[in-house]
Amino acid sequence: MRFSSSISSLLTSSLLLSTASASSGYHEQLNLRPLPLSNLLASFNFRSNTSLADFESQNFRLFPRSLGQILQYAGTRELHLRFTLGRWDAENWGARPWDGTREGGTGVELWAWLDAETDEEADAKWLTLTNALSGLFCASLNFIDETRTIRPVVSFQAEGDHPNTTLANAKLLHGVLPHEVVCTENLTPFLKLLPCKGKAGIGSLLDGHKLFDASFQSMAIDVRPVCPPGGECLLEVEQTIDMVLDISRSKRPRDNLIPRPIQGHELVCDTSKSYHSDSVCFPVDHLQSQEWTLEQVFGKSIKGACPLTEPGVPPVCVDVPHSRSIFASEGSTEIKSQHSDSRCYKLASEGDFNLVLTQLDASSGDKELVEPEQPLLYADRSFTGYGQEHGGVQAILTNPGDEEVEFVYMESLPWFMRVYLHTLSTRISAASSIPTTSAETSAEIIKEIYYRPALDRERGTQLELLLRIPPKSTVFLTYDFEKSILRYTEYPPDANRGFDVAAAVITTLSPRKMNIRTTSLLLYLPTPDFSMPYNVIIFTSTAIALSFGGLYNILVRQIVGADEGFESPVKSKLKRVLATITRRLAG
Amino acid sequence: MSRLLSSALSLRRDPRMLKAPPYLSFACILIGLIWLLVLPLDEYSRRTYISENALLPGQVHTYFGGSEQHVFRAYKEEVAALSGKDTHEINNNIEEILKGFGVKVGRQSYTYGAAGGAYSGENVYGILQAPRGDATEAIVLVCPWKTIGGSENRVGVALSLTLARYFKRWSLWSKDIILLFPPEPKVGTQAWVDAYHDAHDPRHVSPLPLKSGALQGALAIDYPDDHHFSTLHIIYDGVNGQLPNLDLINAVGWVAGNQMGIPSFIQGQYNHQNTYQDRLKTMFRGMLSQGLGNVAGAHSSFIPYHVDAVTLQPWGMGHQDEMAMGRVIEGSFRSLNNLLEHLHQSFFFYLLMSRDRFVSIGTYLPSAMLLAANFTIMAIFLWVKSGQAPKTEGDDSKEKSTTLDTSNTVERDMLLPAAIVAGSHALGMIPLFIFNRLPGDVLPHAFAIFSAISIVLPLIVSHLLTSFYKPTVQQSQLTKSFSLLVLGLSLSTLATLNFSLSFIIGLLASPLSFVQPTKSQPLRWAFASLLSLIAPPTIVYTAAVVAGADVGDLLRDASFGWNVLGVYTPVAIWGVWWPAWTVGTVNVLGFAAA
Repeated sequence: MRFSSSISSLLTSSLLLSTASASSGYHEQLNLRPLPLSNLLASFNFRSNTSLADFESQNFRLFPRSLGQILQYAGTRELHLRFTLGRWDAENWGARPWDGTREGGTGVELWAWLDAETDEEADAKWLTLTNALSGLFCASLNFIDETRTIRPVVSFQAEGDHPNTTLANAKLLHGVLPHEVVCTENLTPFLKLLPCKGKAGIGSLLDGHKLFDASFQSMAIDVRPVCPPGGECLLEVEQTIDMVLDISRSKRPRDNLIPRPIQGHELVCDTSKSYHSDSVCFPVDHLQSQEWTLEQVFGKSIKGACPLTEPGVPPVCVDVPHSRSIFASEGSTEIKSQHSDSRCYKLASEGDFNLVLTQLDASSGDKELVEPEQPLLYADRSFTGYGQEHGGVQAILTNPGDEEVEFVYMESLPWFMRVYLHTLSTRISAASSIPTTSAETSAEIIKEIYYRPALDRERGTQLELLLRIPPKSTVFLTYDFEKSILRYTEYPPDANRGFDVAAAVITTLSPRKMNIRTTSLLLYLPTPDFSMPYNVIIFTSTAIALSFGGLYNILVRQIVGADEGFESPVKSKLKRVLATITRRLAG
Repeated sequence: MSRLLSSALSLRRDPRMLKAPPYLSFACILIGLIWLLVLPLDEYSRRTYISENALLPGQVHTYFGGSEQHVFRAYKEEVAALSGKDTHEINNNIEEILKGFGVKVGRQSYTYGAAGGAYSGENVYGILQAPRGDATEAIVLVCPWKTIGGSENRVGVALSLTLARYFKRWSLWSKDIILLFPPEPKVGTQAWVDAYHDAHDPRHVSPLPLKSGALQGALAIDYPDDHHFSTLHIIYDGVNGQLPNLDLINAVGWVAGNQMGIPSFIQGQYNHQNTYQDRLKTMFRGMLSQGLGNVAGAHSSFIPYHVDAVTLQPWGMGHQDEMAMGRVIEGSFRSLNNLLEHLHQSFFFYLLMSRDRFVSIGTYLPSAMLLAANFTIMAIFLWVKSGQAPKTEGDDSKEKSTTLDTSNTVERDMLLPAAIVAGSHALGMIPLFIFNRLPGDVLPHAFAIFSAISIVLPLIVSHLLTSFYKPTVQQSQLTKSFSLLVLGLSLSTLATLNFSLSFIIGLLASPLSFVQPTKSQPLRWAFASLLSLIAPPTIVYTAAVVAGADVGDLLRDASFGWNVLGVYTPVAIWGVWWPAWTVGTVNVLGFAAA
């Protein structure tokens, strides 16, 4: 709860600031939050805006010009782009940062509201948008073709303040590339959009080596119009990076990244074990809190504050209990929040900024970190079945709380996964009891279904379910599907790897709005042995070549006995000549 | 071409053609057998090689060692303290250790019934999530609490716990690592793999609370004793004689041999001198194990689900310690981690002669096919023969014509032969049913009774036949023809699924092609006694005696295999071989001679 309050305080403060500081138009903040098992969540948030009038007249100041022009060209009202890698471990780490609204499924996810009268116009603009963004972010976004694009009905709602008339004319399109591996080449253009370009301010911490070594990382870009009450409408671009770093892994020096076994005497052992000795050690290092500094974890320190940022917003905040002592570099000022376990730091405009979190004495009994908040829902999805013909999907959705949760479950499936909707079923099991199947409950759990079936090679399946889970219970959602056989040119070069199936998106509606994404899946399709066709072609060609002549001969030739056949004209002529000669000679 | 065709057509009428098939059939058996015997020669077998370039075995430095040994010793103490405790308590402790270093833990209980006994237990498993992965793929490290030999897998369990803690520190894993600790190697693994693929019977096996992605490979450790070892035994046979991809065996062998300097061997051939005899022996052991189709180790249950798996068993006394074994596993896992695609490049059908020599299916399959073909040739021969009127004595001396009289055909009376063959195959259901349904302690008695019935049954049937039907020579030929046709058909199909089983049955059933009713009564009884020597019950009993096991244990294992693991060997024995033998014996005793 405290986590969410800190986040919400962060949100409200930033919201207040964004409204108040329309003139400045840029602010950034890094929120650090230690997680259990020596992990650290770092949430970077960069927000810049421009007035709509400036935007229309192409007068870009803090708003990135490259992105702005693409948006104008493609008639985009609102844009959300996500690059995600790894998975959020909800069991240990609790609820997601930003309530999951700033993360996507594994790979790249894009959804946007486009100004379009008709679907065809929307498709054309979508094509423009994906191709342009593909170039801008060095990602294969241009592979989001019509088979990977869906038009969600209930899962996504526009976040910005749109006039009703524009939203009525805007079409929502959603595309996802689960196989795309997010890497450094996507980070560089991302940083280039920032006013300080990652050279100063919290952006200077962002480094490809650390970001892509994180256990979970998500880069998000959200562009939306914001109309503060009584003020001019603004177009706001918000860039977010969330990463979960393993502290012990990140602390390894860059020249010695290999986790070699440490020296025997450095091991943290359980000395209470009877067999404990110098050469026998039951490790308990996981229980121990770790000392870390910003520089160790990120590999570098913050290079002063970004001069463009709104001076009222402290750029660095840490969520740890007030009892744990933190040392900050000189020149910075600490602001402790009164009603939450959060403290923020204002940076000096010059000089490096570093933070030191001390190791906690285990005997003191102080808490090392703020307990993570329990998420509204746990979601886990996996394939069932085996073989190359049929399969099934099972989603296990658990509501750990005391309130009923209502949510939309959305799947965007590739066309070669032919869903049998009639097999869609739910089974509910209350905590600590045997699962029971009942048709009644099944009808109660799924309240609405929105289903758009796939067309081969044209569009994928879109499935949106409105579900309701009673408190303290688990719902097993299952459906079966059939695997198509692709044409041999449709297989990727690594055909035997399988095909990635995008994450399911869960949007809770009540008690509060948040997003959860499951992990993506790997679907095996029947794959031909690609060396076999070659062998078969060679073999059959040879066999045909050898047998053709003989067979053709037998078919078209008339076989008769030697004495029955016609005599060849040459031979008979020769015979006649020979006969005359012999007659002459004889005669 | 035309001349060839016409000469072939004229050959059809040649009476020598009708004399040839038995010789041809015999030649098939002989060539099939010789074919198999020449396979170990250098000219016919090939050296193994790594076909999948992504595997890159032994290309990385392994770091397991150093202070990990201190941790290993501590875990070994923990494991030793659990010795003899019940599964639940053991699993509690393993779960606690796994959770200690941040591995997600799940449990699964199961109860199977086979041969009147119940096999129940509880698996505990941990999923070490790949730090940057997304749960699409996984590799499995299986470490049963009991080894194949039945002793406690102490070193193995401690080693996998240490390895798990060590693996957790690496961020390079592209696949989740699943650590599976079943209470014993056979049932527990089967229950877990079934449930992982959602192919389990929910009445006996509970579903898995925690799952990861598609399984790409599995290694099992079988390391009971706390002594230093010299070599590594790689066990690779799967259920029903299915084999893992050859690349996996090679990769593990390569990591052990070329990187760690630990030689490896297969099929229990510890002293393999790479001679012809050793190669042949290794091949025969492999074929026997493949033919029986039973579980060889904890890895076997993975293979039917297209998850390549092997068991590693340290062997002998030497100077290699547990850390070396750990590094072999580390190296192999790093190799598997490199895989971009599922293992598909190399062979799935092969016979290994030694760790680094093999023959692939294209080379060895003809031998089993030739054995199966011998039955088909005889069946066709007898069919043709049954269509011709028997020659009388007078004809034979008088006429030595070069062409047969084509008008000499007769109508075939097929009802009785078809009924006998169909009836005997239907009877095959009875042993299949009783041996797989009866409780274990009555199995030896049931076997004794069945063996007696199996011997007496042909006598009774023949007696009934001779006294009621007076079967003709033609019916005798047709009966044999039908029976051999079914046998040839089944065995050639089986050869593509389980080469060894098909070959063994084909070889043991090969006399059935040649025994026939004779006029001389002593010869007839000699044939019958020869047949009873190669009767399926006799062979099963002999096999048990040779293997040094009780026939009851053998049958209990078979019943277990059938009920729990889905082994289909009993179908081949009682549904294909036994009916063919029964018909063969009836044919010898109950029909008139030609």
